[in-house]
Amino acid sequence: MDKDPNKGYIAMLGWSLNAIEALERFDRRYVIVAPDWAQEYCEQHNIPYIPWNFERLNDRSMEIAETLKDMQVDVAIPLFEETVEWAGAINSVLMDNPRLYGQSILFRDKALMKRRAQLGGIRVGIFEEAHDREDVVRFLKRVNQTLLKLDGDPNDPIHLKAFDKAGCLGHRVIRTPDEIDMIPEEEFPVLMESHLDGWEFAVEAWIHDGKIRFLNISEYVTLGYSVFVPATPELEKYRPQITAQIEKLIKTFDIQFGFIHPEYFVTSDGEMYFGEVAYRPPGFKVFELLERAYGFNAYQAMVLMFDPKTTEEEITAFFPREVVDAKGYAGCFGVYPRRRVVSRLEIPEETEQHEYFESHELTTPLEETVTKRTAFGTHWGLIYFFGDEPHKMRDLLKRQEELDFYV
Amino acid sequence: MTTEDRTDSGGELPPLLAKLDDAAQALAQTSSFAKSLKSGRVLHAARRVVMVEGGCEALESRMPSLESAGIFEGSDWSQPQILLPALAKYSLTAPATETVMLEALSELRMLAVARGNYIHPSISQQQAHHHLTQVLALNLDLLFMPPSEAERTRQGSLALLTRRLFQYLADGIGYEHIVDKLIDEIWRILEQRPIQVDAVKQMILQIAACQANPAIELGSSGQGADRLISSLFGTTNGCREDPGLDTYQQRLESMDNAALQYEATGFARAMHDTGLVSPYHSQLMRFLLERGDHLLSEAMGLSSTGRDCLLCYRELVHAMIDLAVHPQSPQAIYGLALLLERGILYQPPVAPALWRQVALPLSPYSQQRLHIAFGDTLSPAARLMEGVLCMLGQPLGVGQGNNPTCQSARALSMWAYNDPDYLLQMVAWAARDDEIIMHFEGQPVSSRENPDGVAKQLPIDLDPVSLLVVPHLDRIYAEMGRRCIGRDEDPHRWINPEFHGWWAGRGFRIAVDIATGQLHGLDDFLRYFYASYHPFYNGNQPLIHPQPAGIAITDSAARFIGWHAITLLRVSLDPQQVMRMYFFNPNNDSGQDWGDGVVVSTSGNGERFGEASLPFEDFASRLYIFHYDPLEPGTPTNIDPQSIETVIGKIQRSWGADRQPPGGLQASTGET
Repeated sequence: MDKDPNKGYIAMLGWSLNAIEALERFDRRYVIVAPDWAQEYCEQHNIPYIPWNFERLNDRSMEIAETLKDMQVDVAIPLFEETVEWAGAINSVLMDNPRLYGQSILFRDKALMKRRAQLGGIRVGIFEEAHDREDVVRFLKRVNQTLLKLDGDPNDPIHLKAFDKAGCLGHRVIRTPDEIDMIPEEEFPVLMESHLDGWEFAVEAWIHDGKIRFLNISEYVTLGYSVFVPATPELEKYRPQITAQIEKLIKTFDIQFGFIHPEYFVTSDGEMYFGEVAYRPPGFKVFELLERAYGFNAYQAMVLMFDPKTTEEEITAFFPREVVDAKGYAGCFGVYPRRRVVSRLEIPEETEQHEYFESHELTTPLEETVTKRTAFGTHWGLIYFFGDEPHKMRDLLKRQEELDFYV
Repeated sequence: MTTEDRTDSGGELPPLLAKLDDAAQALAQTSSFAKSLKSGRVLHAARRVVMVEGGCEALESRMPSLESAGIFEGSDWSQPQILLPALAKYSLTAPATETVMLEALSELRMLAVARGNYIHPSISQQQAHHHLTQVLALNLDLLFMPPSEAERTRQGSLALLTRRLFQYLADGIGYEHIVDKLIDEIWRILEQRPIQVDAVKQMILQIAACQANPAIELGSSGQGADRLISSLFGTTNGCREDPGLDTYQQRLESMDNAALQYEATGFARAMHDTGLVSPYHSQLMRFLLERGDHLLSEAMGLSSTGRDCLLCYRELVHAMIDLAVHPQSPQAIYGLALLLERGILYQPPVAPALWRQVALPLSPYSQQRLHIAFGDTLSPAARLMEGVLCMLGQPLGVGQGNNPTCQSARALSMWAYNDPDYLLQMVAWAARDDEIIMHFEGQPVSSRENPDGVAKQLPIDLDPVSLLVVPHLDRIYAEMGRRCIGRDEDPHRWINPEFHGWWAGRGFRIAVDIATGQLHGLDDFLRYFYASYHPFYNGNQPLIHPQPAGIAITDSAARFIGWHAITLLRVSLDPQQVMRMYFFNPNNDSGQDWGDGVVVSTSGNGERFGEASLPFEDFASRLYIFHYDPLEPGTPTNIDPQSIETVIGKIQRSWGADRQPPGGLQASTGET
């Protein structure tokens, strides 16, 4: 698509073919900042590109910011958890606003993030940092004492998460002290949280000029397995409360522009608990689901939010109305092999023949033995569905958990 | 859209088409490098459309828009002009939806083009029609047979999808075209006289079944099939209506000599016409063992040479028939007849070696391998004897099957052709001792001590002799290669003469630089080749011994595919007075289009059965390795520079396209 030189020039931090594909058909000038293995591909396909290895911030970090500034890039957009603080550092140079870097650190450290949220008056569960296994034992005990459990009663679980990893990576659920011994030394320090019984969901919010421009609620059928958009009316009825929560979050974290992806629990009495927030696109291909459901491209929406030259008219024209403008419900299911030994991929007839079934990206297994899942692990591929009835979608996604895709 | 009206086939057409169109639109909007991100949804939607009444039609009409949306981009299917009908089978029977659907959509595109509904920039209506008929003819099982258990397990409902698709394609193109095409194809293969004819027999069976089915309207087509079908099932008066072996036996017993003579010539004519032998023929042969050699000779259709051979070695021939010729192994007769015609029994060691073969005790391992490959309808010894007869009778009918063992297949063919008693020695070692020892530069190389060959798995789709011998040869060949590691020249230089025989020339030329893979010294290479092999430049000396050579195989778009081993057999003028190279290709079907106008011929240009041929220049343009006798090098300086230039042009347009040395070819060749 022809680029409009009067609009912003953006840098994408990280490699995502889906994002590049979206940028190609959008009017903003762009450049991809990615590790040097991407070079050949970019040259071959005429993709604007700057090589950069995002290992950790160091003395040379200014270099990439200066390069982008010389190119008159207006803003950098992070695609992955690991590039969030890079975007903060770069944008603080590009926009001459050092606070942006500090803000990005809040998004990168889950313990800092929770404390900040707490200070802003947002409800969070009980949490603490752990530096070794003893900390975990103490926390597990204390949480369960608080819940007035007696010795011998089954414990309420606690959750352990790495400070700076995305989504389910490194996420463990601990119920008994024996399980604590299984945690490898190198995973510490970690963040510990009490378990919140409730309905977990995620929100995607596009923010420009400190205001929410589009708010999506993603409904998890089972965490780590499946998600669909828009949510069922049962969850959507909380939209006013959820919007209020997001506005609090924007104020607390002083977010002027960009995109956030927070997770919440809503308990049976309607109380919202904040889980965590990320300043980058969600996993599980939620962006793709949104495009399927609403027709707008979520990466382009992100660019619109980050670009300081975006106009109000553009924003109004770009976004559809939430929920009512959705053409249907789009969901996806992450497949984990259920057997210890598998030899081939076999999509169940009932899945492939379902009227909601769209496509899958599963591939034939390369190894026959399935690695035992530690923590939450990674799925082997996604299956996509689309249909017009949210409850049918929810039940369909739930049903997939009982099926074998690898036999 | 509600659940209740959902059918087994996955829904009603309009909503499925809506899904498809939506997915296709998303694909169309995507830049070419990212098409693969969006094509999955289109293919999955199309899959379900096919399964619904009217779905194929809807897809066919959408092919122009699907193709312009980029569904084929980045794959071979984006160039329909280079697609090979023979490969469709593999993608249509693949387990992955994406592969099957790409092929299916491509065929629907061909149909749209063939019907004139889609004007395609790179294929014509006729080409598309031709392609489709070939694809259908080569996959008649998809048209007429329900899926086998294996297909069902591998493909699930995809196996039903391909059948639905084929039904639609056949309805669109007309059954009569398919059957005629298939018949042409069978004749084309039979003209190469392969040893393995099971696949051909299978196709003939399909045609016979097709003709017998009143539901299939064949019109005037299928006439040419009669000779094929009758050569197998109703060859002579005595078995005209395919009466069954028992009835035929009774009829034989009541025939007088004149009737038997009539049967004998009938079978012989059919056998030599087609290369196919009827099971009834075996029955007649066994019956005639008691009735005198005149009728036996008639039944094999022998000329005076063959008859002399039969009479000189009467007992041996009888013993071999008794062992090998059965209704389950009729092809043995054809092998035996040609063996006798070749007169090789007059070479002193051959007859005694065949006596050894008749009595050869097979190792338990060999018996087991033969058993696995051919079943237990016949004893392993009989099966192997059949194989030996066929290989000695049809040295150019050897095929490598679906295995990377062209070197070994070539060696077997070369020995059967040039050194039959050595071949028999190899068979004895392999079948009885489970070990072959060859020597490489004075050192023994055992097939038992070197378990790793070129082929990763034991081949199974081979004739009986290859089945037992090839694994040994393959390991020896691979070990010889290992012993050449570290030498800075192509190992074939040393391996070929040691592996194939003393007659492989010790002079060696190669057209590429080993280190860089770039073309190297082409001018010199070609001059030596012309001077050694071209009768106009080598003093009109016909080629004496078959010579191993290496060619760069290219596809129909002249793109490099890989290196391949062949045998140079003879060079002479064809009936049109064009100088041709006649060669043996161990690949199972030599008739191949190598692109840029180089089409290998297998008949009609003076070829003998099993030979492939090309005009000398065309052949030279795919050659990259040859051997020659350094003491008879001809005069390389005399070669017409025009010829050399033409050949170099052809090389640069095909496999040499991305092998140009940095300085250009002229720099390195200008000095010679």
